[in-house]
Amino acid sequence: MSIRKIVTVVEEIRTEGGRDVTRPARVAVVAAVIGNPWAGQGFVEDLAPGIDANASELGALLAPAVLDALEAPAEAYGKAAIVGLGGEIEHGSALIHTLKFGDHFRKAANASTLLPAVEKRGAAGVVFDIPLKHITDATIRSHHQTVEVRIADAPHPNEIVVVLAAAAQGRPQQRLASLSTEQ
Amino acid sequence: MQQRIPDRPDESIDLRKLVVYREAVVTEAGEAPAQPARRASVAAVIRNPWAGAGPSTDLSSEQARVAPVLAKLLTDRLITALGSVEEIESFGKAAIVGTAGEIEHAGALIHTPYFGNLVREFLQGESIICFADTRAEAGETLIVPLWHKTHAATRSHYQTISARVADAPCADEIVVIAAASTGPRPHPRIGDRTTDFAVTTETLEEVPS
Repeated sequence: MSIRKIVTVVEEIRTEGGRDVTRPARVAVVAAVIGNPWAGQGFVEDLAPGIDANASELGALLAPAVLDALEAPAEAYGKAAIVGLGGEIEHGSALIHTLKFGDHFRKAANASTLLPAVEKRGAAGVVFDIPLKHITDATIRSHHQTVEVRIADAPHPNEIVVVLAAAAQGRPQQRLASLSTEQ
Repeated sequence: MQQRIPDRPDESIDLRKLVVYREAVVTEAGEAPAQPARRASVAAVIRNPWAGAGPSTDLSSEQARVAPVLAKLLTDRLITALGSVEEIESFGKAAIVGTAGEIEHAGALIHTPYFGNLVREFLQGESIICFADTRAEAGETLIVPLWHKTHAATRSHYQTISARVADAPCADEIVVIAAASTGPRPHPRIGDRTTDFAVTTETLEEVPS
């Protein structure tokens, strides 16, 4: 796997809606900008060898990095694959929609739910939103949130940006009734 | 004006959020750099202390109160993001003022000794700190220039980092940014003042027109 760079973003929200957030709300994102494993090969029917060669390694790299950056236990998480214009969205999906990738994060975060995801193709500097949900119960409404990311010079046409995101809490000032109150 | 920098800066500067961005180059143009650098920016989103004030407003007392708090907060986070102050080789600063403010408000927070001198001191630099500033809507990307913290003319260290906060600045806010790098561009090879040929119209055989 060829990595061009690793980008880390940490947001810390101190006030929201004009009021202090009791505990500063932290969201961390770690992105690996990698060469698209299928670049220049035309339409590749069988993506499995490329998945086997890269997905687990990416998960093992990003999972501890995003938890380190968060500096707190993760309560919500999500993932993203942003494919450069020379590739297929299927290439990004191949790398992140496999247990080989996500299980590293689930194990490191003591999580059990599926990781919500965004897959998108775009030019370098494309803005993307990563959805995050609770790590053990995807119906916990307080933890539905998104984080917006942009890397100025990635992905190049033959690259993929593979990303994990984690939040240490739900939304700042979350105060919606739980799903069960409507059932 | 002697003021202590408060331990808990949030309320004193009306801080809404902090965004730390860091990137580590692994390869560039297919090869690992001889001196791989990490670059980081730290952005603080604060309420514009002069929101709603007219252009005759004296900025001096608020800049003396707010800018030192920002200098400490941003450099602390930068040093943490990049490892240690000794590893930091280049620095820069920037501000984005929301549309209800003046560009002068951005300048008041980054262009006076209450910010610049303290950032330089905290990052153990000697150079003037290069900068960018603008007025913009939330989500604007600002390209922040960096140069060497003790030898500003060191050409290998001329570089930039893009800073952006998706939902800031609101109209009545200012985003204040400090940025730094632990090394040069990935593959610096454009010489330096010490190696430059003396280029003038006389020394060039022909100046293209």
